[in-house]
Amino acid sequence: MGGEGWLFLFALLISAVLLFVMVFFIIMFSDLECDYINPIDLCNKLNQFVLPENAAHAFLTIIFLLSGQWVAFLLNAPLLAFNVNKVLKKNHMYDATEIFRTLSGHKKESFIKLGFYLLSFFYYLYRFIVALIADSE
Amino acid sequence: METPPNLPVGWVAQWDSVQQRHLFIETATGRSQWENPAQFPAGPIAPIDTQGQVPHGQPHQSSKRRQYATGQTQAYYGSAEPAPYADPSYGQPQPGGQLFTPGLAAEAGFAGQQGAPAYFAPPDTGYANGQYPQQPVQQPNMNQVTNQFAQMGLGGQKPYALQTVNLLAGQPDPRDLHRPTPEIRLPPNASISQSPYVNADPSYKRSTINAVPTTSSMLNKSKVPFALILTPYRSLKEGDEPVPVVTDTVIARCRRCRTYINPYVQFIDGGNRWKCCMCSMSNEVPQLFDWDQARNAPGDRWSRPELNHSVVEFVAPTEYMVRPPQPPVYCFLIDVSHAAVQSGMVATATRTILESLDRIPNEDNRTKIAIIGFDVSLYFFTLAPGSTESSMLVVSDLDDVFLPKPTDLLVNLTESRSAIEGLLGRLSDMFQDSHTVGSAMGPALQAGFKLIQSMGGKLVALSSSLPTLGAGTLKNREDIKLLGTPKESTLLQPASSFYKTFAIECSRAQVSVDMFLFSSSYTDIASLSCLPHYTSGQTYFYPAFNASRTEDALKFAHEFSTVLASPICFEAVMRVRASKGLRMSEFHGNFFVRSTDLLAMPSVPIDQSYAIEVQIEETLTAPFVVLQTAVLHTTAFGERRIRVCNLALPTTTNMSEVYSSVDEIALATLFANKAVERTISHKLEDARDAITNKLIEIMTNYKNTMTAAGSGASAQLAISENMKMLPILCLGLLKNVGLRQSAQIPVDLRAYAQTLLTTMPSQLLIPYIHPTFYSLHSMPPEAGTVGEHGIILPPPLPLSSERLERHGLYLIEDGQTIFLWIGRDAVPQLVMDVFNLPSYTELRGGKMTLPLLDNPFSQRVNAIIAKTREMRRGPYWPHLYVVKEDADPALRLWALSSLIMDRAEQLPSYQQYLGQIKDKVNGTTY
Ligand SMILES: [Zn+2]
Repeated sequence: MGGEGWLFLFALLISAVLLFVMVFFIIMFSDLECDYINPIDLCNKLNQFVLPENAAHAFLTIIFLLSGQWVAFLLNAPLLAFNVNKVLKKNHMYDATEIFRTLSGHKKESFIKLGFYLLSFFYYLYRFIVALIADSE
Repeated sequence: METPPNLPVGWVAQWDSVQQRHLFIETATGRSQWENPAQFPAGPIAPIDTQGQVPHGQPHQSSKRRQYATGQTQAYYGSAEPAPYADPSYGQPQPGGQLFTPGLAAEAGFAGQQGAPAYFAPPDTGYANGQYPQQPVQQPNMNQVTNQFAQMGLGGQKPYALQTVNLLAGQPDPRDLHRPTPEIRLPPNASISQSPYVNADPSYKRSTINAVPTTSSMLNKSKVPFALILTPYRSLKEGDEPVPVVTDTVIARCRRCRTYINPYVQFIDGGNRWKCCMCSMSNEVPQLFDWDQARNAPGDRWSRPELNHSVVEFVAPTEYMVRPPQPPVYCFLIDVSHAAVQSGMVATATRTILESLDRIPNEDNRTKIAIIGFDVSLYFFTLAPGSTESSMLVVSDLDDVFLPKPTDLLVNLTESRSAIEGLLGRLSDMFQDSHTVGSAMGPALQAGFKLIQSMGGKLVALSSSLPTLGAGTLKNREDIKLLGTPKESTLLQPASSFYKTFAIECSRAQVSVDMFLFSSSYTDIASLSCLPHYTSGQTYFYPAFNASRTEDALKFAHEFSTVLASPICFEAVMRVRASKGLRMSEFHGNFFVRSTDLLAMPSVPIDQSYAIEVQIEETLTAPFVVLQTAVLHTTAFGERRIRVCNLALPTTTNMSEVYSSVDEIALATLFANKAVERTISHKLEDARDAITNKLIEIMTNYKNTMTAAGSGASAQLAISENMKMLPILCLGLLKNVGLRQSAQIPVDLRAYAQTLLTTMPSQLLIPYIHPTFYSLHSMPPEAGTVGEHGIILPPPLPLSSERLERHGLYLIEDGQTIFLWIGRDAVPQLVMDVFNLPSYTELRGGKMTLPLLDNPFSQRVNAIIAKTREMRRGPYWPHLYVVKEDADPALRLWALSSLIMDRAEQLPSYQQYLGQIKDKVNGTTY
């Protein structure tokens, strides 16, 4: 298996992890709505995952850039820009005092991210298989 | 018109042989008119437009004869009614020769054209005591649309009558702000009690609409937001009914939705069960419900307060406690740095606490008190019971705050009274020679929190400078270049997350924080006020406080002691339940939203207001809905109680009923809350635009659906009678310090104004955005004297500088500041009478205390000022500024900025604002 195969296998794993993180976020948000968790605990929990999630995604995007995988890079660049913008504006963390007012926005964002990670998961899978086939030929 | 027609109550008809028609006389006021009051009551505004066209609110189907008669009536008004506001000085020879009355010429023309609109009613003494004299008379003359809709009204209910007025045709009358709210017309037998108290008084709970549309699409179409304005803990003034208390701990609640039993439930099954008014669940009536525990005998269910009163308090049994009720706890954090001591803040504060020790809630001798000083270190004081001495313990480690001693720092007020008194008497002197600059307020807050966190209670922080050390350090970020630009809102956002995260910690531990800020320089109220905001406290601001000015010391001492002495509740949660189909969607106010519908309030200060938006989730099928607020709390005397506040509103499928039931005061209160939130999340400009756009939306839809003009262009600006003050209130909001477009407003003042806009109850908020303006030199003879309802106030004037005459004395007040405006040609006698000075030139403007002199005019003026200071709810003690017409431009401009109908800087005058709205209303079609 060549470099490209390994790269997309790695991307596959990371996007699977990110996928699970998003599912976790969405479950937590609906828990909040159902009053199973209070906003303080929710924010403390979720805030632990925000930066690692952003970092993992940024890391993946940069690897695509360095390895010259332009399509994969361009696919991820908008989300990276979005995340970087949020961190720079210092509103990437969940604020317990405002969470109920911003909840619908957070949920929407998490669903979009979930969809995005799902699509990219299949794309990486496809590229991984293509790379395997190319290797075997 | 030969036979006397049916007349409303209070009117008599008298045949006039000269005019060959009936003269109609209102017996109560002696007021007469030619037109039948059943058809044309003497409303506050006669809707006649300047072209003399058919008034908008009049029936298009009516005969020409009647229209003609209306015009004639208006002509008679001009001669029969006294001159505008019966100003006696108008006709008198003026001192100083030339009479300068900027507004008079224009006004005369205006009056001539219009035949003196009826709002120039003679001053009504009944009103002057804050009461609107008469209930608005049922108006049969509404437009066609309403007539048709009225047929569809719910069976047995009186339909709301929609009366359209043309805003362009008259000026707003400030007295209309005191009209009663649109009547809530519940279907007959909605409540099981005939008590007049079954619906909440607007001062406790009011809704923006008093008839709820049955579907959310209809609500959206009306463009009027549906929200509740709550002040569950309002102060009781003299004559107010106290809230009845249910003491037998028999609390009937719905099994499914947990609603408390209220006057809108139904008893079924022979009275053994009751049907919930929210979810229709059938519940058992508790066994002891009909048992009088005081007499130990069968009682009368129908006399129970919870079935007869909308606002009641239940004494809660132990199931409502997670721990024994906490005692009242006050921890004072006093800044003892050089600036604080030199300004006299420490001395004034300690003296005020000392004098208030007897007034602090302490009925059962459980109240606990701690005092911590801070500058660059923290100073703890041990206050051992019984001793008169206290010893000071200094903690300089600000990074990891610890309590130097486990006991005697937080002490029982009664047991350690002498030690506390001793310390308060000496504290200011102890730090008299301090030259330390810097403030460790963050660590002091943490220390106070550590001290009281096991119990909860109140942290009262008094600070004279920006926190510069330890946690919560803030920088001077005020950048004058940003003021008035779109970036200004960044200065209104909290600079440090400490004040939010710490607030959450406090909220969890039932600790509430009050901030008293005194800095003469920037003190970042935007960041600091987060702490009171999320812990149900309050921020108080005394810019450039200096106790050597008696007015400053008096104001602070008055407000501080009122806050300390006011009844207070602790460890509270508030929840609003509503009939099936309604959901509370957004919450505005000082609390922490702990779950989707639960508001955590470590303390409930008196007279704080909250706004809650309501969503219609499902079609409402019931003829009326109930909205129930429940506040579970611990009283200052250690009783766990639930204050329940019910509001029942009819539902309607009729758009005109929605409009005719709009409560403009509640709507303006909601707008204030939403606008302030928008300035923080968006920009100031967006917040202002949002207010105007909402107003335009409402008026556009009103014109399209409720007037004959439909979606076409109209020369009028139509709105229903009950909403006619909404535009001026919106303009007042746009011109308020908290929202105004200006590059001159310091950020602290703006942030403070915003905290006021979001916390004040309507009684304080409305004057704050629409100040009251009296003419004192020409007030009616009874004004300022004691009447049936206390001091009689003069009639308020429209907020326009056209009213200012050169020889006049005026009072403008907004509940926070009082301006005494004196014209440059004031006669020496007036100056002598009021200020005890020989002439106008001797008088100096600025903050002052008015002398009480031995002449009737001075006594009346003082009485009016005293009345304006005490008549509203809340602890605020407004400063009095004397403003000379020709001196101190800054003060003059400040006073003039209260006259919101004038054009100022880039801000439009009232007429311009209406013009803008009219263009937009005509420009957009659906
Ligand atoms: Zn129920």
